[in-house]
Amino acid sequence: MDLNQLLKSLQGVVGEENVVYHSDDLLVFEYDGSVDRGLPEAVVFPSSTDEVSRVVRLARGAGVPVVGRGTGTGLSGGAIAPPGGIQIAFPRMNHILEVDTDNRMAVVEPGVINLHLDTRVRKDGLRYAPDPSSQKACSLGGNIAENSGGPHCLAYGTTTNHVLGMEVVLEDGTIVNLGSLARETVGYDLRGVFTGSEGTFGITTKIAVRLLPVPEAVRTFLGIFPDVESACTAVSAVIEHGIVPAALEMIDALTIQAVQKVGDAGYPDDAGAVLLIELEGLHDEVDEISEEVEAALWDTGATQVRTAEEAKEREQLWVGRNGALGALGSIAPNYFLVDGVVPRTQLASVLGGVAEVSKKYDIPIANVFHAGDGNLHPCLLFDERQTGALEKIMEAGTEVLQLCVDAGGTLTGEHGVGLEKKEQMPLVYSEDDMSAMLLVREAFAPANSMNPGKIFPDGTKPIPRAHPAAPGMTI
Amino acid sequence: MEFSLVDQLSRLLGSSAVSTGNRYEIDGLTPEAVVRPVDRLQLSEVLRWASSEQVSILTRGGGTRSSLGNVPRTADVVLDMRAFNQLVDYQPADMTATVEAGLTLSSMQQHLARGGEFVPLESAQAERSTVGGILSVGAGGPLSHTYGLPREWLIGIGVMTTQGISTKAGGKVVKNVTGYDLNKLYTGSFGTLGVILEASFKLLPRDPRAGALMASFPTVAASIAAGRKLLDTSAAPLGLHCASSGVARWVQDSVPAASKDLGLGDEETALCLSYFSGRAKATKRRMDEATALLISEGANAVQRIEDDDARGMLRWITDVPTDINLGSNLVIKVSVRSKSAAPVSAECADITVLGQGPGQLTDPGFGSIRLFWPESKDGSTCASGEDQAVLDGIQKVRRIAHQYQGSAVVEHCPLGAKRQIDVWGDSPDSLKVMQALKKRFDPDDILNPGRFLGGI
Repeated sequence: MDLNQLLKSLQGVVGEENVVYHSDDLLVFEYDGSVDRGLPEAVVFPSSTDEVSRVVRLARGAGVPVVGRGTGTGLSGGAIAPPGGIQIAFPRMNHILEVDTDNRMAVVEPGVINLHLDTRVRKDGLRYAPDPSSQKACSLGGNIAENSGGPHCLAYGTTTNHVLGMEVVLEDGTIVNLGSLARETVGYDLRGVFTGSEGTFGITTKIAVRLLPVPEAVRTFLGIFPDVESACTAVSAVIEHGIVPAALEMIDALTIQAVQKVGDAGYPDDAGAVLLIELEGLHDEVDEISEEVEAALWDTGATQVRTAEEAKEREQLWVGRNGALGALGSIAPNYFLVDGVVPRTQLASVLGGVAEVSKKYDIPIANVFHAGDGNLHPCLLFDERQTGALEKIMEAGTEVLQLCVDAGGTLTGEHGVGLEKKEQMPLVYSEDDMSAMLLVREAFAPANSMNPGKIFPDGTKPIPRAHPAAPGMTI
Repeated sequence: MEFSLVDQLSRLLGSSAVSTGNRYEIDGLTPEAVVRPVDRLQLSEVLRWASSEQVSILTRGGGTRSSLGNVPRTADVVLDMRAFNQLVDYQPADMTATVEAGLTLSSMQQHLARGGEFVPLESAQAERSTVGGILSVGAGGPLSHTYGLPREWLIGIGVMTTQGISTKAGGKVVKNVTGYDLNKLYTGSFGTLGVILEASFKLLPRDPRAGALMASFPTVAASIAAGRKLLDTSAAPLGLHCASSGVARWVQDSVPAASKDLGLGDEETALCLSYFSGRAKATKRRMDEATALLISEGANAVQRIEDDDARGMLRWITDVPTDINLGSNLVIKVSVRSKSAAPVSAECADITVLGQGPGQLTDPGFGSIRLFWPESKDGSTCASGEDQAVLDGIQKVRRIAHQYQGSAVVEHCPLGAKRQIDVWGDSPDSLKVMQALKKRFDPDDILNPGRFLGGI
């Protein structure tokens, strides 16, 4: 079947207005939040599971690969169209189908925005815990594909810990249900292995998630430290007290400078690190633990400690952290974000290594990261207009990842492998390890027509495209 | 000339690693041999040999849940993994640990206690059950409402394929999306996809205080209603269970701290058991508020126990699935959404098997109901030839479970009945994917053949 014929058939399924194929219109679907790009042949907006199934079946019949696309906030190229492929996007499948407060669960369509769900269920004293920093924009279907995390996954786990089940469309158009509405289900944990499969097993069309009660008390601490080392010591000290905060975030000196440039977040200009700690629970335990946390911050060299309990004031403490990535635009026009993870105790030494990489390549590197779970986010800052800049950045980025792996860590904590890190997979996995993983893909998608060319090394280098650092970008 | 499996294995690993399988009967089948490899090399040899000879392998840890699962199609060799029992790596400050699959849960917890931490896995007979076994079954315990299932805590896994190749997935960091999450696939796969070698977990700090409340209620329904109310408050316990009268009396016999004042002699008296832990002040406040709530919800009496007594009660509930005192012939676990626990419990209470109603242990937070026939350890056992009555009972429970969009797993039943059912229940529409997985991971169908869902 040629492409025109396929487009006609697709229009027959979803309506003419719901198939985009003019090259101008396709440009906005060429990229996501990563440095990669790829122009899809078409983008289709289905309105139901049945339509998704028919679209997938048509594409399969035409030998055209398919990738699901949420809102394009992904940071590893996961939603970039494979060559000759089409995207299925979900602006029309964005309904919260059910909020079941008795059972503390909700059923949603894949296009629902993460924060919309959370906002909706908070009316009932509940919340959806996984909170990727892009939660204002990212979709739950995308969260499933990437197994997204967020600042609060330190205490509550990532997307996979909150998904009960989902309805998915496989590459032959079959609709199957994975998991169940009950917390325990029989058979292989297919919803578990599907979550984080980056769209390579199928397309999610409906999702059942678990909701948690909103805690009685929340208290946020902001500690200013002279340097990253002392802030890392504070992290260890908190953990050693047997405290698992709800969130434990850090930004370094360069990021602080950027944040202060774009708008006063109230940080001293000479601050070496800002540590954010959030505690949740009963008033009694938050009070008791607060004393220990505050003492630990002072003991490890904090020069200032601020605290807040009211929502508005807490938000104020988070402003600098949340706006950090966007603020980097005040330092350099582009950034390349690395998502390596290391064991907590290795944080300080790996950050030292990152500083050396920065020196070696003469690239400023700003660090914004989830300190509690060892998830670094070094942002390599550059100007893509300079020749060779991007190549140099990619090389330095690989070196940072190597540091993480050498410290007992891994390539990606929450952004996914996608296109960006697929050639680095052998740093952590052997051929045999990856062969076992590929058996799973064969079982779900034997023809490998769902988002092919992602995750596993195949010697093809994506065409990188520098991403402008701009206000509103988040991690 | 044909050599016995014992002979063949002895040639491979030496006779000290092999014995006959007489004492390892499973569902009426006696395995020919038991093999105990001591390292990966030996294990690899066993698996390669089994694949090439089409010999079925039943991987075994402590053997505490070996009555679970369908009757195997074949049971040639039991693979005893208990020699793989080392703590591989433990970094208290990272709150992660890696252990070999044959390490018992209690040994693991002892190691972790030195760092002030624990792994939130729960298993009956923790001193016998192994980490690999717990992962293979994938089940949680009494605190599942809070801690979820083992899947939530596993961050990395080493698995040997049927071709004897060591593979790994995940790693030692608490947050990781590098490659497919095979941790989830292997957890709960019942030993049908590969042999678990080692596992890495994220850990939690140990709570300084523990406490429990035992509240007696006039009926099971009243105890579940009160329990649900309690779970919805900020005083919610980590886990909560409601026991029917027979099971409640059994609590009194088994948990030394259970007081006579609970009035458990009465025919209908049910128990609501809740478990708390945390910092001293918060734990006290939770228990105070919970006590007040339970009384206002109609509890006859509430007994409060602390620390070791409370942990003892928790251990008792944890041990229920395999308690050797359990005289029950038929044990079914129903899993539903939490709110459905109450109606399912009520409807199942009317199902009699050979004239007896079930004992119940219900977790209205997690949404599971365990049903026991006969109810108490003193109950009569059903004779063979009465399989039809058992099958009818199973059928009735399943109908109720399905009505509430849940599942019902038969954990224990007489062999005659077991041969006629899939203990896991009806296959979901995703069975095809599961079968495709099995075919690719175990093409010769040698691992635990037939014991899993849908004949996998």
